[in-house]
Amino acid sequence: MADFLLLGLFDNVETTADVIDEVRALGVQDEQMMVMSNVPYPARFFARKPARLWFLPFVLGGAALGALVAFFLTRVTTNIYPIEVGGQGLHPVPPTAIIYFEMVSLFSMLGAFASFLLQNRFPILTRRMYDERITDGYIGLEVRAPLAVAEQVVSVFEAHHARVIKREDAAAFKPQGIRHLLFWGAVGAGGLVAVLIPLLLTYDIVRIPWINKMDDTVVVGAQEGTRLAAPAESVPVQGPVFIAGEPATAPLPATDVSLQRGQMLYGTNCAMCHGMQGDKVGAEVGKYFPEIPQSLGARAAILSDQDLFRVIRLGKNRMPGLAENLSPGETWDIVNYVRGLGE
Amino acid sequence: MLESRATVGPYWERPLPDDEHLARQVEHGREELLMLDARPPAELNQLTLARMRQTGPRFWMAVAGLGVLTLAFFTAWAIQIVSGLGITGLNRSVMWGPYIANLIYFIGIGHAGTFISAALRLMRMDFRRPIARAAETITLFGLACAALFPIIHVGRIWKLFYMMPIPNQRELWPNFRSALFWDMMAITTYLIGSTLFMFVALIPDFAMARDHTTGWRRKVYGALSLGWRGTDAEWHRLEVVSNILSFVIIPVMFSVHTGVSWNLSMAIQPGWHSAIFGPFFVVGALYSGVAAVILVMIVIRKTMRYGYFMREEHFNAMGIFLLILTLSWIYFYFAEWITNWYGNLPMEKAIQAMLTGPLAPLFYLMLFCNIVVPLGTLWSRRVRTSLPAMFVIGILVQVGMYVERVLIVAGSLSRNELSFNWVNYTPHWPEVTVTVGTLAFLGLLYMVFTRFVPIIPVWEVYEGQAMQETRRVGRAVVSTRTEVH
Repeated sequence: MADFLLLGLFDNVETTADVIDEVRALGVQDEQMMVMSNVPYPARFFARKPARLWFLPFVLGGAALGALVAFFLTRVTTNIYPIEVGGQGLHPVPPTAIIYFEMVSLFSMLGAFASFLLQNRFPILTRRMYDERITDGYIGLEVRAPLAVAEQVVSVFEAHHARVIKREDAAAFKPQGIRHLLFWGAVGAGGLVAVLIPLLLTYDIVRIPWINKMDDTVVVGAQEGTRLAAPAESVPVQGPVFIAGEPATAPLPATDVSLQRGQMLYGTNCAMCHGMQGDKVGAEVGKYFPEIPQSLGARAAILSDQDLFRVIRLGKNRMPGLAENLSPGETWDIVNYVRGLGE
Repeated sequence: MLESRATVGPYWERPLPDDEHLARQVEHGREELLMLDARPPAELNQLTLARMRQTGPRFWMAVAGLGVLTLAFFTAWAIQIVSGLGITGLNRSVMWGPYIANLIYFIGIGHAGTFISAALRLMRMDFRRPIARAAETITLFGLACAALFPIIHVGRIWKLFYMMPIPNQRELWPNFRSALFWDMMAITTYLIGSTLFMFVALIPDFAMARDHTTGWRRKVYGALSLGWRGTDAEWHRLEVVSNILSFVIIPVMFSVHTGVSWNLSMAIQPGWHSAIFGPFFVVGALYSGVAAVILVMIVIRKTMRYGYFMREEHFNAMGIFLLILTLSWIYFYFAEWITNWYGNLPMEKAIQAMLTGPLAPLFYLMLFCNIVVPLGTLWSRRVRTSLPAMFVIGILVQVGMYVERVLIVAGSLSRNELSFNWVNYTPHWPEVTVTVGTLAFLGLLYMVFTRFVPIIPVWEVYEGQAMQETRRVGRAVVSTRTEVH
């Protein structure tokens, strides 16, 4: 039994609601009817049941996926590739909370949007019953009915002064089926390519030769030039004064407090090249510099305290000077800590 | 128009009352209020689409002007990439200058868009209806321009992909304990969320454009409208998904500018290290953002002749919104200032001395633009509904808020704990070119966008008009709104 699709256009909600009542009286189920409009009229205007919604599982699923991504970023990557920075643990709570918040928000929004597309079967790739005057404010009513009923429906439409009546064989409107699968497959393939391109770059499979003349730019020169001198009346805040070229005086005794401070400062300033134990283990930057000693403790053992102090302050070979990052007292704390590494 | 045979007309054909006195009141209400002035959607659709296709000589002149500036921007950027950041005025103490101020500024003007759309939508404010998309568009392009600045600001942009949390051969991952990473996450989330939010609301308007255009436009709109027919189920889901996105995106919006402020306040830099910076930045962003929306509304209304959609009532409402934000901004700025002033810490004193000393012209310009002018004028309805006045105020607030960001970023950095590191910063030509060029780029993107996408969310206007009517109370006619949810 071939079904027919009918579309009538009506002026306003009142008429449409009347028509729906009468069509329903002809034995047409609510699911066989569809109201189309250019304004979101709620279903109860037409005494119809609102559409079933499937947002919650998608939003929750998205949120869970977001939490998983956040877990990966804050836990997994930091455990696989730990980077020691002073003062913070490997998994501090406040930054973790921020990443969780952003990722859960992002993926729950993506979930809601995906759900919106899927519930509506968007994008619609096959022909559907429609009339362009619906976006001009007329209310369309689509009815699916067998031939006998369809004729009665048409007479109901006419009785209510439908502005337009369309009538077509329902077989002309095919379900989306394989086309939809192909579409989403193409979208997925596109996404995969978008992920692959940065990977090709990060693994240096694709190399882009860039022009770079940063070495001879203005500011590098300016930075190596003189800075403003400290005002004459300034006094050192803490510890002995370091004067370039002269040995520093009065080292701090290697008390527990000094060693503790030294360890923290070492973690901030030194560990990224030398490793937390001076053995380059976990030294994420240092592993690209083969000239860094495998054992900092052994190297330090052949230097005097004052030489160590001077190396930290002024730098040596490719090691940068840290005079501006550390006060003299803090430098001594690090010297004390480095001494302990050799033992 | 189709011939009508029905007894009850559609919502846009509501008859006037028989009583002449009442009828005059209704007519007056229709002149004043967009929601009462229902006209046939067929007519309004044509109006909206016809304006989108109008590109007169002045449009092309504006495109050319902005295009040249945009070209200058990309040229300056290219030169800077080749030469390195050395050609800018940035130096060791002031390593964050106008580029980061621009980042904050552009995220700021992008802020109000989603707020107006999402928050006012949830609160069911009718004045948002015709302006929501103009505001969202600022969010979209403001964020896109802002996202350029971290890239412009870093030296070796070809290493940019190491910022992304993707595996790489160096086995280095972005450090999630860095405020910069939080901010990148927040901006990415906001940009994606805003785009989804905007796109969802665009679908019915794309369908409208599809139905009333021909040729390639029809094909493009047809693809973008995803096959929308406006069935009751589709509308229902659209409403729900918009509400879900609104609820999620509002806290994300707050997190974005808070994240931006944390980029600064997590550093132990005097003038930055302040717990109030998060909310202070959010309010500042809304402030400049709402002013930007007002500017855009004026330009759209004037150039696209959308006087029907954007009326005095909308400028009035936005003016009140701006006044509230003026007061909030003053409160936060004062709270920040007095804490530093009373604390009397040497470094914060040095910064305040510099703001009122060498940088005093900028500092007082900021106070004038952000406090004196808006506070002195916006209380008046005549000012709020005058387009030239609102245009001037909008521009001044932009200037004031831009200067505020420069003072916070470059101003605070030029004074720090080590007095021999004190430097004064002067912008060089790349910063100036890039800043002006980015503004032009934003304008250009916006202009082109308005010619391809209905900048008025017409279905939201129709929805409001279908649900609003007049009602007689005693001898007066008042407007009433039908609450359908």
